[in-house]
Amino acid sequence: MPEVTSSAKVRPLDELDIAGIVRIDERITGSYKPDLWEQRVMYYLRRDPLASQVAEVDGKVVGFMLADVRAGEFGLEEPGGWLERFGIDPDFRGRDLGRALFDAITAHFRSRGVTSISTLVDQNDKSLTGFLGSIGFRPSALQALEIPL
Amino acid sequence: MKVETIELPKKYHGAVEHWRRHNFKDYELLMDDWEKYFPTDEKFCLCAKMEVGTPDVIQIGEQKGEKKRIKPDELTENQAMHLLAIIKAQASTEFGSIQQHSGTLDRAMDDQDRAWVMRVMAEELRHGYQMLHLLLSEDWSHVSGGITGEQMVEEILSMTTGSHVLDSFNLDYDSFVDNVTFAAIIDRVGKYQLTMQKVCAYKPMADSMPPMLREEAFHLAAGVIPMRRWAQKAAQGDPLISMHMMQDSLNKWVPRGLEMFGDECGGHTNLKYGFKDLSNRAAVEQYYVAITKMTRDIYARFLRARFPDYSPEKIETTLRELESTRGTHHGVAFADLLRVPDKRFFRRKGEHAFLMVGIDGETFEDAEQYLHYLAKHLNDGYIASRDMRNYADCLRKVAAGEMTRDQAVKAMPKLKRVGGSCPCSRSVRWVMEEANGEQQTVAVRNH
Ligand SMILES: CC(C)(COP(=O)(O)OP(=O)(O)OC[C@H]1O[C@@H](n2cnc3c(N)ncnc32)[C@H](O)[C@@H]1OP(=O)(O)O)[C@@H](O)C(=O)NCCC(=O)NCCS
Ligand SMILES: [Fe+2]
Ligand SMILES: [Fe+2]
Repeated sequence: MPEVTSSAKVRPLDELDIAGIVRIDERITGSYKPDLWEQRVMYYLRRDPLASQVAEVDGKVVGFMLADVRAGEFGLEEPGGWLERFGIDPDFRGRDLGRALFDAITAHFRSRGVTSISTLVDQNDKSLTGFLGSIGFRPSALQALEIPL
Repeated sequence: MKVETIELPKKYHGAVEHWRRHNFKDYELLMDDWEKYFPTDEKFCLCAKMEVGTPDVIQIGEQKGEKKRIKPDELTENQAMHLLAIIKAQASTEFGSIQQHSGTLDRAMDDQDRAWVMRVMAEELRHGYQMLHLLLSEDWSHVSGGITGEQMVEEILSMTTGSHVLDSFNLDYDSFVDNVTFAAIIDRVGKYQLTMQKVCAYKPMADSMPPMLREEAFHLAAGVIPMRRWAQKAAQGDPLISMHMMQDSLNKWVPRGLEMFGDECGGHTNLKYGFKDLSNRAAVEQYYVAITKMTRDIYARFLRARFPDYSPEKIETTLRELESTRGTHHGVAFADLLRVPDKRFFRRKGEHAFLMVGIDGETFEDAEQYLHYLAKHLNDGYIASRDMRNYADCLRKVAAGEMTRDQAVKAMPKLKRVGGSCPCSRSVRWVMEEANGEQQTVAVRNH
């Protein structure tokens, strides 16, 4: 297993990480979306600022993972952890940073008494399903359905 | 992460509610609209919150390794006196900021920005409430000079803009730009203070910090995100917001923010007593790095909106080029760059007090010339304020050799509101406290 880069640090998300996240997302998707990330970061910071995490290497944000605890949605009564978006700068992949972010989120969820974590993934995206499978996600009975309109 | 919530005894809870009705008139509106702006977020609770499961052992200072203190009389008398002053000052800032925010809240251009500031205000009310809980839940009479908890609460709730303990909370806002800049700059000082106090040797204080800090994360975002959006609007030519307006507001608040850390050479008592884990200088350095990153990011947002075809790398190069050449780039000038003023700019406390230094570190010899410079780099409303006049008077005396810088630091007169524990009382007298402690009435207002 590759070592986490010695100078890598995982810490909770804060509002000064917006620029870094916008940059990583632009590297991954090719599009610049500051409004979207301002809105998402605000959402996570106001709900549970210690849940979402970023990874820093030499003081620069190179990865992020956004998460929170939700209850009462989709008829799920029990509070459950949700993993929403995440991304690692392509130059920093394969160094276990994705896993390190997820471990920090898991530790926080445990301290809040959460007993399961859910996420939604596009089955056709082999990279994402591969990563999620490696860190322990398994298919759930809960299934995403849709109707095109 | 577990939190215990506590409500103050009825009488005091009622006093805070009463204060809130006078000073935070939109509170009910916020509660009514909560679901609209903060859907599925936890409802607001006016209560003290204590984190459960924090360390039991003192982490720093002379008593490191001993059990944390849970009652004021387990602290030494000096420690207790020192901590009491910190708690009272903290309480004063929390209530003070609500009064400042309410002055210009209605001038928000955007409903969401306004709702965010209202939530900040509600949470500041809770922070003030938290500090009152620390004052009232234990007996501090042996170090309060005979002042009872009830009197301390009355004193704190009777303060208005002008009479607070720290300067930042004595300045009126001049526009909604100040509401937002204050959250980004001054609440950030709060974040540093609360973070340092997480180690506090007095356990109830330490336990108060984590819930407050979680709320503070939102306050900083409520400052930084509107500034980022304004930068984009300014770049797109919106006539109602400009980088200049934001810069003037930074110039007003950054010097006061730096001073809130206390004298750069101090802070060692807090370390020795185990109340904080950083000296003033160490904390202020970290803070300065953070606000520099913040302004640079905002400026990069501006540049990207001006030059949408540039890559992130090209934006970074352009920014560096502007910073080093101080020239212009396709119509964007260095002078228009949003930037953190030099640490010595417009200071009135600490090691740089009353030096005449500009935003970019340029120095001035002549007081009049410097005041003209300040007038160009601060907004008009603020220039015409009593605060500026007091500063100008002291600066002129320092420059003329009639006063030392040290004397000037102590001589900045403080406005104090006396009489009337609540705005319901009929008349209010404003006094100026002179350096020798004497008071001089400067205004009387009858309601
Ligand atoms: C998926 C992603 C987060 C992985 O980050 P990373 O830091 O490289 O992953 P790690 O090094 O921590 O790897 C952890 C585990 O996942 C596995 N993994 C990582 N990427 C994988 C891939 N593309 N395919 C299969 N498995 C993968 C690793 O092999 C490792 O497993 P192991 O420990 O059993 O060997 C990163 O590639 C990424 O950001 N992808 C794009 C995400 C995206 O599209 N975001 C936008 C939508 S939200
Ligand atoms: Fe606060
Ligand atoms: Fe705050």
